[in-house]
Amino acid sequence: MAVMKKSPLYIIALLLLVFTGYPFLYMISTSLKTQGDFFEKPFSLFSSFNFSNYTSVFEMGISHYFFNSLIISVAAVVIVMFIAALASYPLSRMKFKFNRPLFLLFISGMMLPIHATLIPIFKLTQSMGIYDTLWALLGPYIAFSLPISIFILTQFMQEIPKSLEEAAEMDGCTPFGIFWRVILPMLTPALMTVFIYNMIHLWNEFIFALVLLSSPENRTIPLGLQDFYGEFSVNVPGLMAALTLFSLPILVVYFFTQEKVVKGLAGGSVKG
Amino acid sequence: MRKFLATLTAASMIMLAACGGEGTGSKATGKSGSGEKVIEVWHIEPGEREKYFENVVAQFEQDHPGTKVKLVRIPNDAYKQKLSVAMSGGNPPDVFQSWGGGWLKNFVDQGNVLDITDQVDQDLYLENAIANTKFDEKVYGVPLGISTDVMFYNKEIFAKYNLKEPKTYEEFVQVIETLKENKIIPIALTNKTKWPGAYFFMNFVGRIAGPELFDSAFKRTGSGFDDPAFIQAGEYIQELVKMEAFNPGANGIPVDEGRGRQLLYTGEAAMMDMTTSFINNIRAENPDFEKKLGFFPFPTVPDGKGIQTEIGAATGPVFSVSKSAKEPDLAAQLINELTTKENAQIYTDKTGSLTAIKGAIPTDETMKPLYELIQNATFMQMPYDQTLPPELAELHKDTTQALFGLTMTPKEAGKKMEAKAKEMLDK
Amino acid sequence: MNAQTERIEIIQKTEKVKSRKTARTKHIMTICLFIAPALLVYLLYVVYPIFATLNYSFYNWDGTTEKTFVGLGNYVELFKDAIFWTALKNNVWVVLTSVFVQIPLGLIMALMLFAPIKGLRLFNSIYFLPFLMSTVAIGMLWVLMFDPINGVINLFINFLGFENIAWLSDENTAMIAVLLVVVWQFSPFYMILFKAALVGISEELYEAAQIDGANTWQKFKNITIPLLLPTIISSSILAIVGSLKAFDIFYIMTGGGPNGATELMGTYMFKQAFNNFNMGYASAIAFLMFFLALIVTIIIQVLESVRKRKGGYE
Repeated sequence: MAVMKKSPLYIIALLLLVFTGYPFLYMISTSLKTQGDFFEKPFSLFSSFNFSNYTSVFEMGISHYFFNSLIISVAAVVIVMFIAALASYPLSRMKFKFNRPLFLLFISGMMLPIHATLIPIFKLTQSMGIYDTLWALLGPYIAFSLPISIFILTQFMQEIPKSLEEAAEMDGCTPFGIFWRVILPMLTPALMTVFIYNMIHLWNEFIFALVLLSSPENRTIPLGLQDFYGEFSVNVPGLMAALTLFSLPILVVYFFTQEKVVKGLAGGSVKG
Repeated sequence: MRKFLATLTAASMIMLAACGGEGTGSKATGKSGSGEKVIEVWHIEPGEREKYFENVVAQFEQDHPGTKVKLVRIPNDAYKQKLSVAMSGGNPPDVFQSWGGGWLKNFVDQGNVLDITDQVDQDLYLENAIANTKFDEKVYGVPLGISTDVMFYNKEIFAKYNLKEPKTYEEFVQVIETLKENKIIPIALTNKTKWPGAYFFMNFVGRIAGPELFDSAFKRTGSGFDDPAFIQAGEYIQELVKMEAFNPGANGIPVDEGRGRQLLYTGEAAMMDMTTSFINNIRAENPDFEKKLGFFPFPTVPDGKGIQTEIGAATGPVFSVSKSAKEPDLAAQLINELTTKENAQIYTDKTGSLTAIKGAIPTDETMKPLYELIQNATFMQMPYDQTLPPELAELHKDTTQALFGLTMTPKEAGKKMEAKAKEMLDK
Repeated sequence: MNAQTERIEIIQKTEKVKSRKTARTKHIMTICLFIAPALLVYLLYVVYPIFATLNYSFYNWDGTTEKTFVGLGNYVELFKDAIFWTALKNNVWVVLTSVFVQIPLGLIMALMLFAPIKGLRLFNSIYFLPFLMSTVAIGMLWVLMFDPINGVINLFINFLGFENIAWLSDENTAMIAVLLVVVWQFSPFYMILFKAALVGISEELYEAAQIDGANTWQKFKNITIPLLLPTIISSSILAIVGSLKAFDIFYIMTGGGPNGATELMGTYMFKQAFNNFNMGYASAIAFLMFFLALIVTIIIQVLESVRKRKGGYE
């Protein structure tokens, strides 16, 4: 009886599972084909199990790209989380004259097409003398992650009841103390969302890396993956193997962050 | 959570400081600390070609002590964007690769390319090839490679159905009909990328009107892009589309991922109009197929002025020195070194490609007939999209793609092209 | 009126003002300190390029050092440009799909994660996969899946009894095909947004409703939706803004073709800038994209604050 009642739920869940999961399976399946297999049967699922693509990814000396990507994206994301949360606090919970305009200014960065910023940022990076170093990416990565981070964080901060803050103020907490001890812990679900969003975004970021880096030793993963491209060809299975490998860290990050988003943690004290 | 944040920030900053610092040390262009002269070269060539560059560069560094050449490879699509940002941002590499023609001219017009007429021995190169890097009688680059587009086909399939290499359009149509009857896709086409379809247009125009028409339309000396021959070329294309000569949905299939080649490898399709780069793809992707590979030049059309020794060809790689190069003479020497006769011979032997340098004869059996095709050519038509200024080139590819999609009439396409040409070329 | 009390009142007031003043400066200082780090980076890397773009858009510029000032010339030309209007229309389609398909789907996925079924952990991770994949892989795989001859999508519709469709090369279906991928790729993002919001809704509310005899639908309608409204609205803003500058997946899958059928403002701007070297014109498109998104966001924000005030919020 109970199973019967729930069966529509299972059907929806499974349909969504196929819809969302199929391309990922297809990616893994393709990564297990040799070039020859792929050209023979491009559409088949798990028709061959050849791990040579994975070994050759490691032989490409890709660990260097991996290390660069890891440093730059983790550094940028962590800084973003911190300074975006700081800025979101007054923007969402304090009244002052330029609150709304400032908020709009901050989120307007989401609206600017990245490609339009390339030439100004290229020039800026040149003049700062950090062209072709990892530092060149830090600024753009932080700055372009800020808008959406602030947007999400302010929205969640607005939902936190005033009473908690007032109580802390009575106890003589400084504004920073309130932020650090009261607000931040309650923001965990939102911070985790910001973390995973930016992490994925920066992990796959290509265009700034393309324009601001040049030397092979400074390249990040998305640039390194260009090695799979020929004159008029792509080594599709090889690329898929690399992409599968490089999505694993993100998958781990996702598990880690989602562990923190559970009912009760925020639910107990925050009422929408 | 907070502790995690704090530790992570600290850790990542330290790592960045360590690695970022290392990066600053190996800073790019110009002279580095030790007084070494650095030449930065941007190119797009993978595999054996890249190895060829590395070898030439190593020799060059030995011959010129105190010089460091930094080779940076960026694949095709990304390359165009990276280079144009670097050019507009005022810091191009010392040496860069192009295909000659309209795209290079654009940077020449911007004043970003060095005139190297005095440093280059023009007699070294095939006349048609070096012409593609000359603007106003000044040389702005040297061509290393050349390729030609021909109709490749599967010899096995042709033998099976008793088909001969078609010389005329009628024979071509017969081949197509026979293949269709036998449930084989006659021609594989990957036209999301647009230039493969544009080759058909170019070939038809050449066969209909002979070599002069495009030149007169481009240089604005006679007929324009709405000339009846351009319209007729469009009609031929649409006739082929309507007789289902191509794989269905060709306009949505990209070149690079190899779906078009895949149709050939598996014998689902029998022919494909492609540049000689196809041979390198075969060697990497499906070496067995090379035995089955045949080719024929584009067939003639009834009452056409064009003949089969007039071929489509493209130069690339072409190397140029940018005007802001800090060691212009050294850079010019380097690009000369990349295109000496001796090195060109190595290039053609090692990379399975043809060169634009006279006397570099391939020893490879597959390449030889293609080499002879180029040697015996009475005319070489450079691809329209590499000759026209970029904006007009884009329109040419877009309208041709629409012709293949049957969503634009040849007349409309001609009219659009001519209107844009008037706007851009009649200055 | 007694003169003395009046004076006392005045003194009290000035004192209040004084202490309020020091409190206010302190308040402003605090605000500045909180905002400064973000603002500094932001001004340098975002605000400066915005103004640079605006500046370039007034010039005829092919990327050289020389620019010719043309005032609003680029904008005038843009409004006469048929391709731009097609692109804008296509962008509107992306916006509509994002708001009315992507967000609801994201919500459904999020709700599924709280459904009383087994295997939630599995669902949670698989549902998220599309968002985690790189756009390059997504583009390549979906082009193969949409293959006109043997692609899995066509196999599926054959199974349902339909003929093969040349999805990406037919001007009528190309947009639909890419939109499907857009929905597929970004729904998981809204799923995690909604998930983060859903965990904030107290169980007690549902329990109370349960006691009142509410069924699942009533609970959803009367508790979940109203409490999720702020998230729905901000998701909509994100979706609209993101859709207006959509680029990547379209560039990879169709390049704006065939025959401009999937041209977007973003792809058109890219072509003008990096293919055609019309940097000035491209900047005008970019700035217009920026401006459109800003206007829409302001409108939504204003509507939202009106709604809040009416609803007696805070």
